Amino acid sequence: MASEKLNMIEQFKNLDILKVDRRTFLKAVAALGATSFISLYGNQLAEALTFENETKVLWLHGAECTGCSISALNTSAPDFADALAQLNVSVVYHETLLAQQGIFVDGKLVGNSELNGEILLNELVAEGGYILVVEGSIGNGPNGTGKINMIGNHTFKDIFKKTAEKATAVIALGTCAAYGGITVTDSAVKEYCDFMGVNQTENKKGGMMKLLGINKPVINLPGCPAHPDWFFLTVAAVLLGKIDLNNLDGQLDDNGRLKVFYPDTHTLHDNCPRRGFYDRGVLDVQFAEGGCLWKVGCKAPYVHADCALRKWNDGVSVCMQAGGPCIACVEPIFPNGSMPFYVERESAGVLFGVNIGTIAAFAIGAAVVAAGVHAVRRVNKEK
Amino acid sequence: MVKITVDPLTRIEGHLKIMADVNDKGYVTSAQSGGMLFRGFERMLQNKDPRDASLHVARICGVCPISHTQTATNALDHLYNVAESVPENALAVRNFIQAANMISSHATHIYVLFGPDFANPRYRDVLTGPELNLGATGEAVWKELLGRFAPISYKMDGKAIPPGSSYINAISAKKKLQQAIAIFGGKMPHPAVNIVGGVTCTPNVAEISKVGALYLKVLDFVKDFTLGVPLETWVQNTHYAKSPDAAVKFVTDHLANLISKTPDNQFTRENGWKDVELFAAFGSELVGEKILGLPASLRFDKLGGYSDPSKICFISYGAYYKRGQDGYSPESPTGERFWTSGVVSGNLKFEDFDSKKITESIQCAFYEDDVASRHPYDGTTVPLADTDKLDLNAGPADKYSWLKAPRYNGIPGEVGPLARQIVAQDPLVMGLAKAFSDAGTSPANVYTRVLARMQEVAVLAYELVNWVNDIDPSKPFMTTVDLRAAKDNQGIGLWEAPRGALGHWIVGDSKGKVKNYQAIVPSTWNFGPRDENGVPSPVEQALLNNAISGVDNIGGADYNNPVAIYHVGRSYDPCIACAIHTIDATGKNAPKKYELF
Repeated sequence: MASEKLNMIEQFKNLDILKVDRRTFLKAVAALGATSFISLYGNQLAEALTFENETKVLWLHGAECTGCSISALNTSAPDFADALAQLNVSVVYHETLLAQQGIFVDGKLVGNSELNGEILLNELVAEGGYILVVEGSIGNGPNGTGKINMIGNHTFKDIFKKTAEKATAVIALGTCAAYGGITVTDSAVKEYCDFMGVNQTENKKGGMMKLLGINKPVINLPGCPAHPDWFFLTVAAVLLGKIDLNNLDGQLDDNGRLKVFYPDTHTLHDNCPRRGFYDRGVLDVQFAEGGCLWKVGCKAPYVHADCALRKWNDGVSVCMQAGGPCIACVEPIFPNGSMPFYVERESAGVLFGVNIGTIAAFAIGAAVVAAGVHAVRRVNKEK
Repeated sequence: MVKITVDPLTRIEGHLKIMADVNDKGYVTSAQSGGMLFRGFERMLQNKDPRDASLHVARICGVCPISHTQTATNALDHLYNVAESVPENALAVRNFIQAANMISSHATHIYVLFGPDFANPRYRDVLTGPELNLGATGEAVWKELLGRFAPISYKMDGKAIPPGSSYINAISAKKKLQQAIAIFGGKMPHPAVNIVGGVTCTPNVAEISKVGALYLKVLDFVKDFTLGVPLETWVQNTHYAKSPDAAVKFVTDHLANLISKTPDNQFTRENGWKDVELFAAFGSELVGEKILGLPASLRFDKLGGYSDPSKICFISYGAYYKRGQDGYSPESPTGERFWTSGVVSGNLKFEDFDSKKITESIQCAFYEDDVASRHPYDGTTVPLADTDKLDLNAGPADKYSWLKAPRYNGIPGEVGPLARQIVAQDPLVMGLAKAFSDAGTSPANVYTRVLARMQEVAVLAYELVNWVNDIDPSKPFMTTVDLRAAKDNQGIGLWEAPRGALGHWIVGDSKGKVKNYQAIVPSTWNFGPRDENGVPSPVEQALLNNAISGVDNIGGADYNNPVAIYHVGRSYDPCIACAIHTIDATGKNAPKKYELF
């Protein structure tokens, strides 16, 4: 893998990244990751954007855990603040970071936008023209009131409506914002809370945007959390016109994800650092044994994301490398379709809305062609 | 009287609202704290594979996911009867990732969440305004505060202020710690490594060395920004000091020495005024003005204290497994963990912790039940069916929050770094607590809360290397787990998150799946509403009698910029996503069709 990555860097190194066609640009972005990409092209990007207007990012927090913000702060080479500076992006609203807070005296908003967050938000909405980043799902419950999540006397649902209507585009960051994620785990209170994704809830298209009748370009960047590269590189590509917000169709997959980061042509399993063990039939049945995690519940063969190539936290690791089975955290069915996390898929009923028996035979069949001696044995046994 | 509401209180995790009644002199007479989002985590785990809790509940919080995955795993170790046999290697990995997460979470709090308030225009006015007439000293201190702690996208009087130097560099240090966690955990936030019976990773020597290299870089940050004396000198003379008095004397002598050597109000890093020194001296009236003789301070010690010691206690469940052995006790008896469990009264008297003394009240929370208070194991909680009753502006006698109100032996408890170090008897924290107590003020206040957090960063940065060195790649990282052990069994997970005492309780059904699951988390302790006796939660008590604009309202109270609410609220490091939860024992969900064994 390392040598493959080196070759790519070699191949892309001498490009004038601003002049290449969109396809090559996205290929470079996808292949290199933010670390290499921005260190290679940072100056070009900076120059290209010097005379452009500042891009405003308005970042909302719904039903969330702040993990996607923490992940964004983990961005490397450049650091978070440098990345913003290089892209000439200004995070104009972000409740975990901003200096302001909502302030009311006897129920009335007071002060100015330098101290009062709600006044700031109102000013930003009036100006419009920002990229709206949504972290966390949007509560519709109970009974459609949205009261499940209140901020400054408004439901988050209303705040989302007001900000989305004036946005240039919406980025649903993380699986909760994209599909509901952990907040739509099956439970006795699921209906009461009625959490929804921006324009998709689990496998159901439409989400809160449809409910509110809002039509804006939406890019889903799921993940629990979302990878910082996915976010910053998407913003960079949009700013450079390499992603056309008014014509996203060819660039997104069926679940509204950018194909460059969530490839529809292959799965996480294909690039797993433990793939060799699978091919040799070294399938662990206990944890901390160092082999393939298929039999302890790994979902990587069904998951479309580039984590295994890109890796996490400045490229140091990925779940399977640390012995943790993939739990499909980038997929619309997460977590209902991927629980139980540690049980081999065939015995777990339905996954991804497809009968697991069929899909597993297909996946294993593909592996047979590749080299899986063990898999041959198992497929034969199943017959 | 006016009613001041801060909603949302930003720069915290989650959605929190604080309401305060303020009298004509600008002092708080009553306060309410309300959690503004309900997610219902525990109900999600019912009828599921208990082991899923390790990864599922980590998603309660993205700031301290290790604490939740770890506490859930402790509860599972107990449920499956393997707590006593978890290998030392696994305990070392768990200790390391928890400590790295605690340092990173504390650093994020100190610099990114709490710190920006030092750059509030209130302190420009206090330090450079006419009331105190501080001249060049005030100007110099303000310059340091603004230059170090201004957040991103900050503006004053229409002018953009660049982010502070400490702020920016802390983000980078935090990132390296998260990277070190990811080496063991696969990724961070939300790593994949915690599992009942041990950890899933099998780190090799190269990976352990890489963690070591990252550790050294973090120590560089501590040296360059945080602390003006070598880390070892600080920790040996404070955390390991022979008495509380000796620890306080070491710090005040160090600060007095700095002051005497500082030329012309140059309170710069180059002159030894790192962030801890700056805060320790200029954050407190008692330490800065009275002991050290400085002309002014931000007087954080006069905010966030408790006026009635009988209505507060300090709780810790015990943090970090003991080194050098396999296994641990799930009940965390006094003295077993690196930082012991225990409960300390408002008058600073220690007693052993007993989890059976915990109850939760829903009197002022948006849930329905026949009785107001229950022990967690008996808890059945149903969110209000009548949505008209979800009135987040309701008064203190009504339901006004999604948080419940936990009590220990009927008394509200503060949890977090200050409580943890009071329980663990850290000499510096105890020495300061005693000094404030002797001066007739509350031992707990915004100053001691933040200083305790800084102290934990120092102690953990010092101890971290031991936990890395304890990892031996040639020994096992897992013990064998028999899944049948969960049948009709129960487990308790007691642990310490960066924000304080964290407990998870799990009950297995006859098929070995989850019958009941619940979590009582730090911010529920600190930020809950009133209970059925009308007793306010810790933060609601801590706001009473506070000068709404801080610094004794010098220059007059400014209702448009109620800094006292910001400081007191943030001093507990609220994590509201964690704090709101529900317990379910109704068993309404149809089980999924799969067998565990």
